[in-house]
Amino acid sequence: MRVKVRSWSGVASWLWVANDENCGICRMAFNGCCPDCKVPGDDCPLVWGQCSHCFHMHCILKWLHSQQVQQHCPMCRQEWKFKE
Amino acid sequence: MAAGAGLSSAWSAVSAALVPPAALGLDAELRAALEVLRCYGLHAAVEEWFLEVLQKDLQAHIAPEFWNCISQYENTAEEQQCSALLLDAFCLLKRRLEPYLSSMELLEGWTKAGLLLGTGAQTLREKVYTMFKAILFFSTTKPFQKMIQQFYSRTFRIYMRQWKKGEEGMNECESSMSEAEQESDTEESGGESTACTGCGSSREQCWCPTAMEQFRQLNDILRRLNLLERVSADAVTTILHRMIKERMERRCRGEYEHSFLNEFQEWIEKVLGWLSRVFLQDGPLARPSPEASSTLKRWRCHVQRFFYRIYASMLIEELFSIIRDFPESKPAVEDLKFCLERTNLRQKLLSSLKSALEIRLLHPGVNTSDIITLYISAIKALRELDPSMVILEVACEPIRKYLRTREDTVRQIVAGLTGDAEGSGDLANELSKADPVTLENGQESDDDISEPGDWVPDPVDADPGKSSSKRRSSDIISLLVSIYGSKDLFINEYRTLLADRLLHQFNYSAEREIRNVELLKLRFGEAQMHYCEVMLKDMADSRRINANIRDEEEKLPEEERPPFSLVAVILSSEFWPPLKEEKLELPEQVKEAMEAYSKKYEKLKAMRTLNWKYHLGLVSLDVELADRTLSLSVSPVHAAIILHFQTKSTWTLAELSEVLKVPVTSLKRKMTLWLQQGVLREEPPGTFTVIEEEQKDQVEKVVLIDSDEEGDSAMASQADQKEEELQLFWTYIQAMLTNLESLSLERIHSMLKMFVMTGPVVTEIDIQELQGFLQKKVRDQQLIYSGGVYRLPKNCN
Repeated sequence: MRVKVRSWSGVASWLWVANDENCGICRMAFNGCCPDCKVPGDDCPLVWGQCSHCFHMHCILKWLHSQQVQQHCPMCRQEWKFKE
Repeated sequence: MAAGAGLSSAWSAVSAALVPPAALGLDAELRAALEVLRCYGLHAAVEEWFLEVLQKDLQAHIAPEFWNCISQYENTAEEQQCSALLLDAFCLLKRRLEPYLSSMELLEGWTKAGLLLGTGAQTLREKVYTMFKAILFFSTTKPFQKMIQQFYSRTFRIYMRQWKKGEEGMNECESSMSEAEQESDTEESGGESTACTGCGSSREQCWCPTAMEQFRQLNDILRRLNLLERVSADAVTTILHRMIKERMERRCRGEYEHSFLNEFQEWIEKVLGWLSRVFLQDGPLARPSPEASSTLKRWRCHVQRFFYRIYASMLIEELFSIIRDFPESKPAVEDLKFCLERTNLRQKLLSSLKSALEIRLLHPGVNTSDIITLYISAIKALRELDPSMVILEVACEPIRKYLRTREDTVRQIVAGLTGDAEGSGDLANELSKADPVTLENGQESDDDISEPGDWVPDPVDADPGKSSSKRRSSDIISLLVSIYGSKDLFINEYRTLLADRLLHQFNYSAEREIRNVELLKLRFGEAQMHYCEVMLKDMADSRRINANIRDEEEKLPEEERPPFSLVAVILSSEFWPPLKEEKLELPEQVKEAMEAYSKKYEKLKAMRTLNWKYHLGLVSLDVELADRTLSLSVSPVHAAIILHFQTKSTWTLAELSEVLKVPVTSLKRKMTLWLQQGVLREEPPGTFTVIEEEQKDQVEKVVLIDSDEEGDSAMASQADQKEEELQLFWTYIQAMLTNLESLSLERIHSMLKMFVMTGPVVTEIDIQELQGFLQKKVRDQQLIYSGGVYRLPKNCN
């Protein structure tokens, strides 16, 4: 007997490759979206700092804008730099 | 001389008795005699004396004679004879009483002229009439009543018959309605054309005219003696009631599709014609006395009231069927509304409809979808019947209560909304109505009514706790959704059903789903439907990604292309309802393909990866056997099973379970598909072998698929989800019981409420649920229940 698979429709869920479940700023799940967004994924991406912490992009940008003097990671207080 | 005086007094006595006094010109003489009596003060006694003589005569002679006369005829069976004799008896009575009546008129004349004192508050006439009634008809015998009734109903029938004939004669072109009427009338009389429909005897012997003449005479007599009301009112009432009822039964029962009000109004006019024959002087020229015409007015009123009451009662009795047939039964609803406004049957309607619903609808034998369908037509029909919606609210409360106890209610309603349920396009139509009511704002005040003059107070039975405007928002969907009091439940159910359609059934139409979500958004609000929107977006995104990846693959050289096309539905897990977790280990080749797909995805979407749900999806494959090829679309489990048979043609259940990591019991169920397809055979039990060549002579083995397999949902069931939530409490409960040894159900509940339910992950649990949960733990021997308290078993710590 031979079985020939013509097509396989599978189901998968996507997830961010991050070291945490939730965003440290908004406490929402990374796989969801930040409070200002409606649609997760491409429309509400994550960004990583050089300190290896990651956040929703919208969340960290808001945080950085609110910082007057120097821009720090809200988790480890190191200077914030986007990871390339 | 003495002889002469004797002779003259004898002559005057005879002549006075033979002719009325006025004929002999005795008026003056009588007057003079009266003057003499006045002189002696005896005139006061004249009226008294007259009444007394009348009374004595009535008691001693007239009444017995009359009743004798009547009772003689009691045994007469022949109707015709009977009515003739009835008339005779009354003629006799009239003859006896006539002299008294004329004397009474004379006395009245004298009273008016001031010669007599009168009889106090009651006039002489009233006293005489009262005496007639009191002595003659104080009590009437049954047979007499029957005779009267028979007489009147016969004449009624003849009258109606003649009236109809007259109408026919007047206009040749009969309306179809009265033709139908005629038909039903002749049918009723046995359909024999030889018999007269009026009097019931054969045409040659028709005695209709005689009967009508008797009718006229009798009425005249009764009118003259002022006994009409006493003698015939009962009979007439009974006849009218019976006729109305009969007619109603014959014509309206089970007929909801046209209005009967006008028809009956016409008919009642005819009946009134007959009544006027009874109560008014005959002949159209005779001016009806104001008294008589007011009697007639009263009768008209009575007949109409009676008709409304009977008609309304009948419609109320049949309201359930009327509702069921709505909107075809709209005329009946309108009739009922009209009648209801003129009777006080509202309470009866409520209780009768409630019990009809309970008996005919709200029992386990009725499908939930049927209950919902009827509820929808009840909303529509009762909205028509009572715009204040109070009837709907009160009468349909049992339906709502009952629907709350059905598990599949939400599912059915949601299915109805999306037009999935067969035969219930109502809800889908309602959903796509142009101007939907947003469920958010039910808070319009009464001031919103445009015309102050249009304001109508709520009926007395309305619940004062609810504002009328809220009740009047009779939107069907909001009524249905409010059965459970919250729309979240509906949204969740909708989400689950949508997820099911998207993942499990693969037969969704994207356009329709998007349209539905948009329509629901108009009702439930943007925020509520957000999850569903993301789900649909996921589907579209997945298609794009698949297309992207396929393009990539096509650029590859032939040999590097994957062995089969793999497409994926990629979900945003946070936005989908929890998926049922099932373990399944797929064959290497498939897993490799999936990994390759994941790699490509990761390249496409930086820092993201895929988590495959191996057990979900759809595989289309060809099974090539030695003598045949089968093309099938199956679930991944089935595909995995058959793929394993490629490498080895015989597997035991245990071995398969080992490689697939699927529990034996569920695997066994999955095997049935291949047994049924004739690809595998089970021999001996628990061992499966490929059937390479079909044995023609072998009797086809019918393997039944478990029915629950078919309707399997990809989503975790509501119960499973609840179970998961309750597990959260279990740790708390264990901790409590470790510290405090034993606790009652109430204590546990209140403590959980204090510590757990205040947290951010609010899961409500009511005491019944908790009890059920704890009982389950007791059954699983994780808990001990004795003396009303729960404890942990000793060995647990």
